Amino acid sequence: MGVSFSISAVIHLAVFLLLLWWGQLFPTTATVQETYYVDVVNLPVANPRAGSPTQKGNDAEAPPPPQTHESPLSMPSPPQPSTKARTAPTGKAQKAEKTEKADTSSDAAFAEKMAKLESKAESQQQEAALERLRKKVKTTGSGRTGMPAGSGSEAGSDYTAYVQSRLKDAFYQTISYTSKNPEVVVHLYIDADGKVTRQKIEKSSGDRTFELSVLRAVEKAGDKLVPPPNHKVFEGTFVFKPKGISRNKL
Amino acid sequence: MGILVGTGLVVRIVLFILIAFSVLSWTIIMFKFFQIYKANSDSERFMDFFWKSKRFDAIASQVDRFTGSPLTVLFNEGYGELGKFVEGSGKADPSILSTDLGGIENVSRALRRATNSEITRLEKYTTFLATTGSTSPFIGLFGTVWGIMTAFEGIGKTGSASLAVVAPGIAEALIATAIGLVAAIPAVMAYNHFQHKIRVLINEMDSFSTEFLNIVQRNVAGK
Repeated sequence: MGVSFSISAVIHLAVFLLLLWWGQLFPTTATVQETYYVDVVNLPVANPRAGSPTQKGNDAEAPPPPQTHESPLSMPSPPQPSTKARTAPTGKAQKAEKTEKADTSSDAAFAEKMAKLESKAESQQQEAALERLRKKVKTTGSGRTGMPAGSGSEAGSDYTAYVQSRLKDAFYQTISYTSKNPEVVVHLYIDADGKVTRQKIEKSSGDRTFELSVLRAVEKAGDKLVPPPNHKVFEGTFVFKPKGISRNKL
Repeated sequence: MGILVGTGLVVRIVLFILIAFSVLSWTIIMFKFFQIYKANSDSERFMDFFWKSKRFDAIASQVDRFTGSPLTVLFNEGYGELGKFVEGSGKADPSILSTDLGGIENVSRALRRATNSEITRLEKYTTFLATTGSTSPFIGLFGTVWGIMTAFEGIGKTGSASLAVVAPGIAEALIATAIGLVAAIPAVMAYNHFQHKIRVLINEMDSFSTEFLNIVQRNVAGK
């Protein structure tokens, strides 16, 4: 019985140790398929390193401001028929009454003319706006008309959005937290080769588990990043919450 | 196995109990396996020797070669009782088998008593296997239920029901059921196997008792 007990204990210990070191002895070789997220709002995104509407492209080819040929707000010099009447010598009272009637009729005509001019100016403004849009549509193929915060050279690019997307992808795999509504603000430095050189927690709600999951996500995402546009060092601040990641507007 | 690190105290106690059950049940499985294997093989060899021998005293002198067999115990008991009766009746040699029917009844009782004691010996510890087989899954289930309760408490505290929060707690809880089943399945299988083998041995003992009494009675009737 004692021998059997010894053998049994040794077998159990061996099985326990085998399970303990199973992951090291037989590492899982299955490759995890990378998940791609398509940002339907910001389509088309040709290349994260390309395109920026705010640097040169749109500014250079911005449609001309609306023509100021006839400013609708500037009052045209009204005809002044009354000046004559006013300047005319006022001999009799009847004459004076006639001149007053003439003034009132000329005011009505002036108001009509103003209304016409305003409607004309409005129509011209609308035409100018339409023309502006047409020009913009024509120039999108060759110009730099990407996302507002982009810094590249092709349409629809935004490196910050790209980094955010990669972080979100990694964060879904590492997320873990123990407190209610944790929040971590991380400042990232990505070098010209697309590697995360530094990550700094600027603000944290104090949930250590959540902080670690965020750092793991940054580490995970940092392996697969493409270099920033124009091979410049990228800096960005991201706010990590259980609901997702957002860019810090501060 | 890092999953064990995050388990609570109750689940750990449950896991310890289940592992202890598993260790003991495997101890009994191995012990009974060798015991019953030896009993079967020695019984087979003893029966061959028994039928080849013409005299009980020749068998009695060689019976130590088959110590694992329960039949040798029966033979010793029956032969010893026969010897006592012969000595009591003034006969010098019990192998002559010149006994009357009263002596045969004594031998029969001795054989029955020996059979019962051998059945008890063979079935010893197998009840623990049955206990392990029937209770381990429930003990594991208790650990799982407790672990899931704890996990849900954690969900209530954090206010998040995402898979990342729920899954680790449930996985930690389910390991108790897994280990309960790991302990129970071999125990049930071994228990059924041993019960079958012991039943075969009991039949062999009954047959041997009958044969032994027949031989004794034939000799008595022949005198």
